[in-house]
Amino acid sequence: MMTRASRNTLIAALALIAISNAVVLVGVAYNRTESTSTLRLTQRELTVPSQWRGFREDSGLALGLQWRVLEADKDLHYFGFGYARSGGTPEWLDKTKLEALGFTATQLEKARRSGESGWEQPSREVLLVLEFDGPVYQASVERAKRYSELPSARDAKERKNILEREQRKSSRLFVVDAGLDAEALRTKYPDRSRYAFVRGQVQPRVQDIRSSAKVRGFVTDVGVQEISVPLEFREVFDFVQYGGYSSSRTESPPYEVTVTFGKRLEPWISAASRAKQ
Amino acid sequence: MNPTSRAEAQQRADEIRTFQKELSLLEREGVLKLSDAQRQAIADHHASLVAQYAQAFDIDRNVQAKQLSLGMRIASFTGALALAASVFFLFYQFWGEFSVAAQVAILTIASLGSLIATFLIQSRDETGYFTKLAGMVAFVCFVLNIAMLGQIFNITPSDKAFLPWAAFAMLLAYSCDLRLLLAAGILCLVAFIAARTGTWVGMYWLHFGERPENFFPAALALLLLPQFINHLRFPGFAPIYRVFGLLTLFLPMLVLANWGRLSYLDLDHQIVKGFYQVLGFAGTAAAVWLGVRRQWPDVVNSGVVLFVIFLYTKFYDWWWEIMPKYLFFFVLGLSAILLLVVFRRLRALGAKQSRGEA
Repeated sequence: MMTRASRNTLIAALALIAISNAVVLVGVAYNRTESTSTLRLTQRELTVPSQWRGFREDSGLALGLQWRVLEADKDLHYFGFGYARSGGTPEWLDKTKLEALGFTATQLEKARRSGESGWEQPSREVLLVLEFDGPVYQASVERAKRYSELPSARDAKERKNILEREQRKSSRLFVVDAGLDAEALRTKYPDRSRYAFVRGQVQPRVQDIRSSAKVRGFVTDVGVQEISVPLEFREVFDFVQYGGYSSSRTESPPYEVTVTFGKRLEPWISAASRAKQ
Repeated sequence: MNPTSRAEAQQRADEIRTFQKELSLLEREGVLKLSDAQRQAIADHHASLVAQYAQAFDIDRNVQAKQLSLGMRIASFTGALALAASVFFLFYQFWGEFSVAAQVAILTIASLGSLIATFLIQSRDETGYFTKLAGMVAFVCFVLNIAMLGQIFNITPSDKAFLPWAAFAMLLAYSCDLRLLLAAGILCLVAFIAARTGTWVGMYWLHFGERPENFFPAALALLLLPQFINHLRFPGFAPIYRVFGLLTLFLPMLVLANWGRLSYLDLDHQIVKGFYQVLGFAGTAAAVWLGVRRQWPDVVNSGVVLFVIFLYTKFYDWWWEIMPKYLFFFVLGLSAILLLVVFRRLRALGAKQSRGEA
């Protein structure tokens, strides 16, 4: 027999579950009342989980967003191309920009004084602008072309591979700006089919640029790491088994995914299809 | 006074057993002599009380039963964790095969259903062990409910999720007398307060661990809470708050005592390290003193362990590289002996004070 106190607690806990779910679902509905951006991405920008990261018993599928940063370092080197989701120090994220993003002069000075990578300075959450297949990607391709023409120590075939990868395989999605005000950013980047805003983090770091220690900003992470694939689009990815996809065996078939970003800058997949080879 | 919980009833039964042993000893030593009628009246009264408690609360009547109860508690704990893990993996095994609407429905129904089942089991379970299992499953279902909605709809991760989880765990803990869930609720609360503290200072919430000082407000809240909320009906709850409060206060302090660069303080790293080392030693010593004074064995034990950890990390810093290993461990042993001597003196002092008060 349940006591009165137990019954009251049960009602309170049931209400808590109901309210929590309601808050989440209302938030989702609010996010989807308006589309702030719609990008048509491909297997280059949204990758299926690789086998080594796959959770063998996870029947869900989420595509990994492959965002990149065009580094400020103008020296061309082998590792400057193609690596996504590892962050970076872009040219535009300088001290002035960091101050505009809310970092105080004290924090920046502390980062500079440390003389290290500035890891001890915590990140701040800001709005990041993602550009798809735009001028920054073209600049990255140009950089890869210049690198492939360098008389460097690495052999020509490897340098040619880098160019080919940049042109045909690497993600074309770059972080190109940051800010705190979505309205102001939208005024600057009105093309909703090329630019999307997401929440992300930046951090001040010291970077030795030609032997002079400078405080620059490092794009640490983007809030959207993965985008869940709804059931109605799963057949597009039927080549992915439990445990992920092994890209070492063969490349994944090409596909196109339309990602819509809502009012709260949270994305969802609104369309998906296989692309022609 | 009628006990209102199993813990109170068990404590009363243990006191009766202790009294019976002591009475028997006093009679054997000739200190006390009861008449047959008196002895029988006491025995009948105690037998009736113990039978009543056993009926109502399923208490342990003797030492053997107590040992079996310990086994049942361990089985209940491991069973609760295993069932919780099973629910977690069950969701992941099948959730991808359902539409979004079905996923939302399943998650919500699982939360609601497991909660209702917990309270139904509680109304029939005098021992509390099955209630603990059901309570853990209900908590995991609710955590999964919110976490997986976040995954399904690609919601930006937020520290606000810790708040309903903490509230849910606390509701279940207080209603079903479940200390395991109280601990889970406390951890969620600590995470929320620390993350909020971090965001108020301007950092991204998920990185709140990068600044150990973010945990101090949560530690303060945990240490003060049992002072303002009466836990007489929930024996064992107040010590859990105090122990978690001490850990939340001193473990971050230990980190800062070794890595001063992680502090918010805009001072030289060595000064920050020194400051937190002094604070750590003084704080843990003060905790031991307070625990002795207020008769909180949990605080005394936690304070001692933390003091020793602070001490030994300093010994390591100072001497590990420069001393031969045999000498280093010999010094550690000597310090342990010194601590024993100090505690013995403190205990003797405490006994003298008690005699003086009596």
